[in-house]
Amino acid sequence: MRGIRLSFSNTQKLRLEKALAQLESLSSKLNSNATVIVADKIPVDEDAALKGHGTLEMGNDVVASVCGVVERVNKLVYVRPLRARYKPEIGDIIVGRVIEVAPKRWRLEINFSQDAVLMLSSMNLPDGIQRRRTAVDELNMRSIFVENDVICAEVRGFQHDGSLHLQARSQKYGKLERGKLLKIPPYLVKRRKQHFHHLDQYGVDLIFGCNGLIWIGEHVDVKDAMVEDQVNKSDPQNTHSSSLPGSSEEPTDTPLERRQYICRIANAITVFSALGFMVNLDSVMETVTLSLSLNLGVHEMLEAEFHVLVAEQEAERRSTSTRRK
Amino acid sequence: MGSFKRKSQEFSNEGDIPPSKQLKQNELLGVDEPVTCLHDVSYPEGYVSSASTSGLPQQDSKPAKEFPFPLDPFQSEAIKCINNGESVMVSAHTSAGKTVVALYAIALSLKNNQRVVYTSPIKALSNQKYREFKEEFSDVGLMTGDVTIDPNASCLVMTTEIWRSMQYKGSEVTREVAWVIFDEVHYMRDRERGVVWEESIVMAPKNSNFVFLSATVPNAKEFADWVAKVHQQPCHIVYTDYRPTPLQHYIFPSGGDGLYLVVDDKGKFREDSFQKALNALVPANEGDKKRENSKWQKGLVVGKSGEDSDIFKMVKMIIQRQYDPVICFSFSKRECEFLAMQMAKMDLNNDDEKVNIETIFWSAMDMLSDDDKKLPQVSNMLPLLKRGIGVHHSGLLPILKEVIEILFQEGFIKCLFATETFSIGLNMPAKTVVFTNVRKFDGDKFRWLSSGEYIQMSGRAGRRGIDDRGICILMVDEKLEPSTAKFMLKGSADALNSAFHLSYNMLLNQIRSEDGHPENLLRNSFYQFQADRALPDYEKQAKILEEERNSIVIEEEDSLERYYNLLEQYKSLKRDVCGIVFSPKYCLPFLQPGRLVCVECTKVDVDIPIFSINEGVTWGVIVNFERVKGISEDDANKKPEDANYTVDVLTRCIVQKDEVGRKTIKIVRLKDAGEPAVVSLPLSQIDSLSSVRLVIPKDLLPSEVRENTLKKVSEVLNRFSKEGMPLLHPEDDMKVQSSSYKKASSRIEALESLFEEYEIAKSPLIKEKLKVLHKKKELTSKIKSIKRTLRTSTVLAFKYELKARKRALRRLGYIRDDVVLQKGKVASEISSADELTLTELMLNGTFRNIKVEDMVSLLSCFIWQEKLQDAQKPREELGLLFAQLQDTARQVAKVQLESKVQIDVENFVSSFRPDIMEAVYAWAKGSKFYEIMEMTPVFEGSLIRAIRRLEEVLQQLIQAAKSIGDIVLESKFEEAVTKIKRDIVFAASLYL
Repeated sequence: MRGIRLSFSNTQKLRLEKALAQLESLSSKLNSNATVIVADKIPVDEDAALKGHGTLEMGNDVVASVCGVVERVNKLVYVRPLRARYKPEIGDIIVGRVIEVAPKRWRLEINFSQDAVLMLSSMNLPDGIQRRRTAVDELNMRSIFVENDVICAEVRGFQHDGSLHLQARSQKYGKLERGKLLKIPPYLVKRRKQHFHHLDQYGVDLIFGCNGLIWIGEHVDVKDAMVEDQVNKSDPQNTHSSSLPGSSEEPTDTPLERRQYICRIANAITVFSALGFMVNLDSVMETVTLSLSLNLGVHEMLEAEFHVLVAEQEAERRSTSTRRK
Repeated sequence: MGSFKRKSQEFSNEGDIPPSKQLKQNELLGVDEPVTCLHDVSYPEGYVSSASTSGLPQQDSKPAKEFPFPLDPFQSEAIKCINNGESVMVSAHTSAGKTVVALYAIALSLKNNQRVVYTSPIKALSNQKYREFKEEFSDVGLMTGDVTIDPNASCLVMTTEIWRSMQYKGSEVTREVAWVIFDEVHYMRDRERGVVWEESIVMAPKNSNFVFLSATVPNAKEFADWVAKVHQQPCHIVYTDYRPTPLQHYIFPSGGDGLYLVVDDKGKFREDSFQKALNALVPANEGDKKRENSKWQKGLVVGKSGEDSDIFKMVKMIIQRQYDPVICFSFSKRECEFLAMQMAKMDLNNDDEKVNIETIFWSAMDMLSDDDKKLPQVSNMLPLLKRGIGVHHSGLLPILKEVIEILFQEGFIKCLFATETFSIGLNMPAKTVVFTNVRKFDGDKFRWLSSGEYIQMSGRAGRRGIDDRGICILMVDEKLEPSTAKFMLKGSADALNSAFHLSYNMLLNQIRSEDGHPENLLRNSFYQFQADRALPDYEKQAKILEEERNSIVIEEEDSLERYYNLLEQYKSLKRDVCGIVFSPKYCLPFLQPGRLVCVECTKVDVDIPIFSINEGVTWGVIVNFERVKGISEDDANKKPEDANYTVDVLTRCIVQKDEVGRKTIKIVRLKDAGEPAVVSLPLSQIDSLSSVRLVIPKDLLPSEVRENTLKKVSEVLNRFSKEGMPLLHPEDDMKVQSSSYKKASSRIEALESLFEEYEIAKSPLIKEKLKVLHKKKELTSKIKSIKRTLRTSTVLAFKYELKARKRALRRLGYIRDDVVLQKGKVASEISSADELTLTELMLNGTFRNIKVEDMVSLLSCFIWQEKLQDAQKPREELGLLFAQLQDTARQVAKVQLESKVQIDVENFVSSFRPDIMEAVYAWAKGSKFYEIMEMTPVFEGSLIRAIRRLEEVLQQLIQAAKSIGDIVLESKFEEAVTKIKRDIVFAASLYL
């Protein structure tokens, strides 16, 4: 039962099994025999094949070094792991937590086998001025991020020493506040064009980190430093009210309703990950709508009945979409 | 497009000069007031300027850098802008001293602890600049494809390509750079590489400022407007066409022996001496004509034995008159060397200088291995240099090129033969510049030198502070119009136009980054900006036409329009029927001589169509018909039915001769005045055939005979005037049995009956009314077409190509739903070679099982673009690999074509050249450079450049292999790098 630790009644169990079976029947059979486990031989027709990630050459054989599905692109053979730790790729959007403020850098836990590094020089200064970082900036690092802050950043790449570097290209990256951090298996987050979502109707921001950390927080307007500058210039009285983010502006409390929405979305994602479904914006939103239409309380979403409902809904959704194809 | 607020200011030493005078772009040779400049600012839309724009502290404090010489107005203007923290575009001649502005920007950034990036279009130029800046400021680094020195320095000199890829990768430099200096930004119009500048400027960090240094361009304002719009910051323009040393332009006619001053230092063109110069031109003699096919030699070689060549005479004269040092520009590498060889008898240096030259030369060559020192190019060069003569072109070994540059700067070279490349970059002026030819081969034909090129090259004449004037000499070997010469010598600089184009690498990199959209890049491109500029013009045009249309008022317009439409319909049906009936298949048997035929009159005015049914036709008599000879041979194989025929018809015409002697023949009605003549008409002009045939005289040459025949025609017409001419019935007589004919003819009948119902047709003014309506219709369609162009330009330029290219990427499996896939990641790493073909080749495992040397050799095909005539064919195993490459390329091209990307498959395939495969193979095997030079007939410099670029591609492939995780392949590429990266090919630049 996919390791779900919930007490299902017998009918619920049956319904869930039925939905899951239906889903299984819908999944493509294309790669079903291409699943391998560690040390399985991967059949390669010629030795002109390129051996990609997750493979090893042992003598004349190519063997899998992870459990997963064999994928082939032209002559390239690689194994896409089914359940694995997060493996960063350049350009991934990730959410992480600061664990150390070190010289000129922050160290972040990002659910990877090593900690990531965010250099002071890899992010924009709060004042938006382009300049080299000075010793003063270094001393002020704690005014930007301190330990246990949750940060969103982009994977820049591995340095020569093997450490993983992050960067924050624009204002939309950076500290995340007033929201909820969720951890789900990273393989349930698919890489897409957009990982930042603003849910207008709930006033909530949703960030799917590729590393399985998901942020659901109150919506923050991202202000381009340039625009801000100009506002300041044209309106000198205004300079004091809108200044550096998070310094003088008193954080007003997040309204209860919005908090509930945040939790509702969080629970929807939790249910999804418990069932082992891929998480994406549409399905999450559908689940939230479902819970609202059923008038369920936030906590009720984590009960067995809702899990079953979600599974059935997902089965329904996928079967209609495949039928349409 | 919003309007930009502008303010113009004039700066001049003596003031009182009307602004318009400086605005004239073509006044650049003779600005009456030498030290003026034009200053203008572009503000972005909605920009609120305020006095306190610059919160930068250095406002009141002392300048970041002081110069030991008084600044020219344009320099101090530009520096003022930089001090205010605003971007500036400086457009001035090469020798005017733009570097001062760059130096100041660097000094300012360093002072504020900010980074500064200096980009230049050429690696060699970057090296030189690096040295220059390093002497000035110590904190300088260099990044080109070949070398990286101190990448953490505050001031980074790099090529524009490196800067672009740094921005894609999000290097930390992009967050610390306050000023970006783009040198020679007019390179943006380069067809191949220009797009790199656009990408770099569009993607540049939002909070940084820019310094653009450019040659004189007439549309600097447009460029600044664009920067202002894209970056939402004001951008200043400082424009000057001031030359520190004025120029005199002479003509040296080939075969003659003297110089003729055609443009004096005031910029006045002297017609009389221009004519004298042309008269002195000795026509090409027989000997020259034989060499016509090798055009570059013409007029420059030794004419007759014993007589000195023109170039020799010329250089001798220059030395005698002490016009040295001199740069002789020619337009090919071979010509350059050839001319230098002509100077064999000349010795311009004394013994002291010779010793110096030898010391400098050998100390530079010291870093070469002994074998390389024996290269013919090296050993042949020294004797030449010692005599004060130098050669400078891209075919030279880079190290030789640099030695020659140094020697020239030190004044040891009195006479330098160079190609166009010498005209950009570092300040290396001479007193005199000679153009050995006024025509240039630009890939497919010889053309006159453009004025922009002339300005750039003549900019090398006149050393500031040494010469009081610079001298330009044009060697003319053929007659040229005064206007051509004037245009070349005094024309305006070339405009800066966008050369934007899409590449897959660009798309992939854009799609790959979270907030990058290819559409965004397109929208912000200079190309789009220039296209948008044209919009208001179109709108205006459409408005005027609309007004005109609305002013036309017609009574009873509705019914008139219905009638009009009916007529149109009728006419088009009629045309269809004629097309069927008078196709050769049916009518040929009836085109006998003597048959009366009804033909269309030549329309007097094409704009006014004929509205009644029987108007505009006349009668004539068929004389003969014949087949039209097509241009192509295969015409003969066509069946008689398909060929084109013309009919010779005797009818009344007006024959007119215009000045050129061309005859224009108009067919008029029989009753009108005109002479009887025989005209050939295409079958389509036949309206109908009559069943009546006349007996016509055999000889129609005498005019009276023709007149009489026509009279007979009129008689027949009169006889049948009541019941109408008996016509050949298409179905009964001509046996036309096509169903489409039947349909059309029945439709015509129906229409004819409809005409009766129209009251309006009976109105006496019907013709005039119809004409007015027709005009109105035409206006409407014109408006429509303008609006269509308006629409297509408001939607993105390149929109369709973008779609097609994305489609191609999808089909090849590089992207899915705007997410870059495995293959796409590989391709996005490759920017120095064709990314798609190389990716496919790599993923097909081609590199996997071949030797490293083979692989390097195969990769050379991606680099080499020159087509060698007598290149040896690669041996079989390499040839086999090359065939594989061609197959892959063909597949890639086909997918692109299927995705509606415009591409010529075979052209694309043949763009990969196998010509240097063997040489590169040998190099990877460890051969000496002189050995591989013996294998290919290419210039040393070209080969070195190719191998260096090959290394660049290999570095990119290492990254690509990393991204797919194939360690074996990765190490293979690394091995390849170590194999080719050695000796003279990667000898460090002397400037470093």
